[in-house]
Parts: sequence; structure tokens; C-alpha cells
Amino acid sequence: MSQKFENLSALVDGEDSTSTSSSSHVLDAVKNDAELQLKWKSYHLIRDGLRQELPANINFDIADRVAQALESEPAILAPKKTWRDLPLVGTVIPFAKQGGQMAIAASVAVAMIIGVQQFNQTDANQPFNAAPPIPGIQGGLSPVSFDQTRAIPNSDGVEQRRRINAYLTDHKQQLRFKTMQLNNDESTILDLNIKNEEAQSDIVENTPQ
Amino acid sequence: MTLLITIFLPMQVIAQEEEPTNETSSNSHQSDSAQAWLAKMSDAVKSLNYTISFILLKPGADSQPYLWRHGVNEAGLEMEQLNQLNGPGREVVRIGNKVSYFEPNVPPYSLQSSIINGPFPSEFFQRPEKLMLGYEFIMVGRSRIAGRAAQQIRIISKDKSRFGLNVWLDQETGLLLKMNLIGQEAQLLEQIQVTGLQVTKEPDPFFAKIEPGMLPEVVNFNPSAAINSPWTIKYLPKGMTIVKRDLRRLSGSGEVVEYIMLSDGLVDISVYIQDRSNSKPQDNLVGTVQSDTLLTIEHGELNITIIGKIPAATANAIAKSIQRII
Repeated sequence: MSQKFENLSALVDGEDSTSTSSSSHVLDAVKNDAELQLKWKSYHLIRDGLRQELPANINFDIADRVAQALESEPAILAPKKTWRDLPLVGTVIPFAKQGGQMAIAASVAVAMIIGVQQFNQTDANQPFNAAPPIPGIQGGLSPVSFDQTRAIPNSDGVEQRRRINAYLTDHKQQLRFKTMQLNNDESTILDLNIKNEEAQSDIVENTPQ
Repeated sequence: MTLLITIFLPMQVIAQEEEPTNETSSNSHQSDSAQAWLAKMSDAVKSLNYTISFILLKPGADSQPYLWRHGVNEAGLEMEQLNQLNGPGREVVRIGNKVSYFEPNVPPYSLQSSIINGPFPSEFFQRPEKLMLGYEFIMVGRSRIAGRAAQQIRIISKDKSRFGLNVWLDQETGLLLKMNLIGQEAQLLEQIQVTGLQVTKEPDPFFAKIEPGMLPEVVNFNPSAAINSPWTIKYLPKGMTIVKRDLRRLSGSGEVVEYIMLSDGLVDISVYIQDRSNSKPQDNLVGTVQSDTLLTIEHGELNITIIGKIPAATANAIAKSIQRII
């Protein structure tokens, strides 16, 4: 009994100089013996302590705890309870499955820039703002490539993720552009003041030339 | 002119729904009601010269520090600046009702607006009266925020259909010191924490350097023709109204959707309606992107997507209430 501890201790201390075969013998013994495994752990700890190599925080059983944490971790990263309460639960796919939050957020940032650029350059969406909707056949305005894209199976969700990004981008854009719509009604008084201001500043601008 | 608005708006609110006791008057600062405090806040936001540093925190995103300055010059013209301090620098400057955006990679442009729709609910700061329809204001008490004495006010939606808000206002000036957006299980969804607040007699020297004539041109939107939609939303949370409605093409995907914006003065919600017969099949999804809820479902012959800072159950109720009327 004490002999096998002796061997292990020698191995941990690097004093087991006899031969490689004997060290592998000890290692095999450790693999098959729970008691030896415990000793293995504490010997290493003692050795680290003696050599003053111990970290500031010692996490005993860290591997066990990680395993435990993984076991008990919910598979879904999105808040669980709220969605469960919804009547549409059965048909809903959690967001996490569709790709991480961060990925979406990052692509929104990129898309936001593109979106504003487009907005600045052209009145691309203008005909659609002005077009009177025809009940029933609103789809007449769909892109030409529509039928082709539909034929491709959509199961991987890439297409939908792209569409969600488009919605998120548009939502951000709408929030930014919203203010002017809201203020049209009340800004008349302000407007007059500003126009005076602007007229004055224009004069200042022009005089040096 | 700011006075005119503060007096004018409460009247509108009262006209829409009878408010038994709570007429706000912009002069009743001495009184200790929540309404009086919010009136004091909106008055201070519009009339004081201040420099505020704050940090915006959203789940799943890095914290964002901002600098927010406001001044009123001798002519009574409001000037405001909002500067994102981390990263390449985004800056928004408002002179009167011209808001100019300076951002990397985008040519600067201006919008016609009397508020910066920034990272905080500007509309709430400027006219909190609008919230009286859908929310209840509760005085909580005093505490100390950012080293200053603060008054805490809780704002909760009357029909429990929206997230709640906790605001802390500076005891002395009425300016915002902290704001928490609270989910239905009392979890923190978004936070603004002021780290520095200075109120000065004169506007910040920064504003003197701005030449109004040099600001970028105002981008004009052609007002979209009123659309004759076959769809109607039957359920709106209390206090919410439709503030915008049009047909638009999404710049990201190129698809044409009907767009409806709902607002209650605190949160803005986007509703996208798309005929399923001409859009691609999609899965029902619900989730959160930072503090926004995103819900997309198939409903009858429609694909409906709703984005905004509302509980998913409310978004679902709105989506399910969309009906054909023609």
C-alpha cells in the first residue's frame, strides 16, 4: 500500500529515475485507482506549494465544476421563461439557434452605414412611398429575381437572418428619421425663428466674397 | 418659444383623455408630485446650459460613453451636441431644429427636427406629458446618484404591456442623473448613468465655434402619400398611437413592406407587414437584440415583424391583432 504511494510520490517529484517502464507502470496504476488519483492531486498541490508556484486562487475540482456547469447550463441562451409564456411557443425557434446576438448586432452596424449611404445618394424608396397599393396584388413590386430565390431551400436560415438584419437596420433608420415627422405639427413657431437665424447666417457667409 | 410648447402640449393631452387631477403646469416646480418633477426636468433640459457625461449600457454590448452639451444663446436659440466618445467618433449637433449628423464613412447630413433622437428617449425628456396616457408616475424617494442628491421616479405602464422605467433626477436642477429600463421580471434592460453634470451660466464655448451656415444641407423627404392599407391593427397598448405609416423598400433585402411606427412618447415600435404570397417562407422567431425585442410570425396570409423595446407578449398581441378590413 505505502509502496505504491512511495512510487507515485517519487514520480511526481521527478525522482523516479529507474526507467521509463516503471514510471508508465505507476501511471497505469494511477489510472485504475481512485485512491491514487486523489493522492496524485494532493501530491501535485503539495509540490506546487513547496515550490511556491500556487496561483492566487486555488480552484479545487475545477474540472468537475466545469462539467457540472455544462450539465446544468440551459441549451438556449435567450431568456427562457418569457418566451415559454407565449402562446406561440411551439412554433417558435429560439434566436440563439439562428446565430448569436453579437453576429446580428455587428452586421447591423455595417448595414446601418450602407443604409444611410443609400439613403443619401438616391431616392430609391421614393416610388414605393408614392405608389398606391393595389389590394390583393401588392406583390407586384417584388424584385425580379424573386422566383429563383424561392426555389432554393431555405432551411439553413441564412436567408431569414439576412431579412432580420434588414428589418433591424430599417428600424434603427426609422428611429433616427422619425423626429422630423413628429415635429412637423409643432415646429412652425420654431421654424420662423430658425429661418430668421439662417437668413442672417447666410448673409454673414456671403459677405467675404 | 419653449414655454409655448410646454403649455400647449399638456392641453392636447387633456383634450384626448380626461385627466382628473393631474394637470401639469410648467410653473408648479415647488410641488413635490412626480408630474411636477418631470415638468421641471423637461423645462431644465430645454432651457439650461449644461454639459453632461453619461454612459449607456445595453445587454450584450460594450458600454458607450457620451458627452451631451446643451446651450441657449442670447437670441433664445437652442443648441445641442451629442458626441460618442469611444471609437471613431460620431457627433450630432442640433441648432434650433436642424440636426446634423457627422459620422465616419458617411457624408454629413442634416435633418429637420427639434430633437436629437439619440441613445436616450429625447421625446420623453422634452415632453413627458405625452406619457400620462399610458403610464403612471410614482414618486419613490431620494437617493444619491453621481455624487448629487437625486429624486427617484418610477414610471410604469398602466396596462402592464410595456417595460417600466426608473429615473433619477437631480434635486437641484431637475436634469437626468440615471435611467433604468426595467423588464417585467425586474431585470435591468438598459441603463443610462450620468457620470458628470455641470450647469453653467453661459453656453459652452463649443457652440460659439459652430457656424450655422456651414452645417450640411437638410435632407428632404417627400412626404409619402397616405396609403390605403387593407390591414388594421386592432390592439394597441394604452397610450400608443400610429405615428407613421407607409410602403417602403428595405434597403437591406430590397423587399417591399408596409411599415407602421407606433409610439407612446417613450418607446417607438416598428411593425412590418408583408403579404406571405409574395415573400419567402420564414420561421417564427422571437428574441432580443440588445434591448430591443424582435418578433416575426406568420399570421393568416401575412408575415409580421415587430421590433422595439416592448415585452415579447405585447409584440405578439399586436401582431395577432392585425386584421384585414378591405
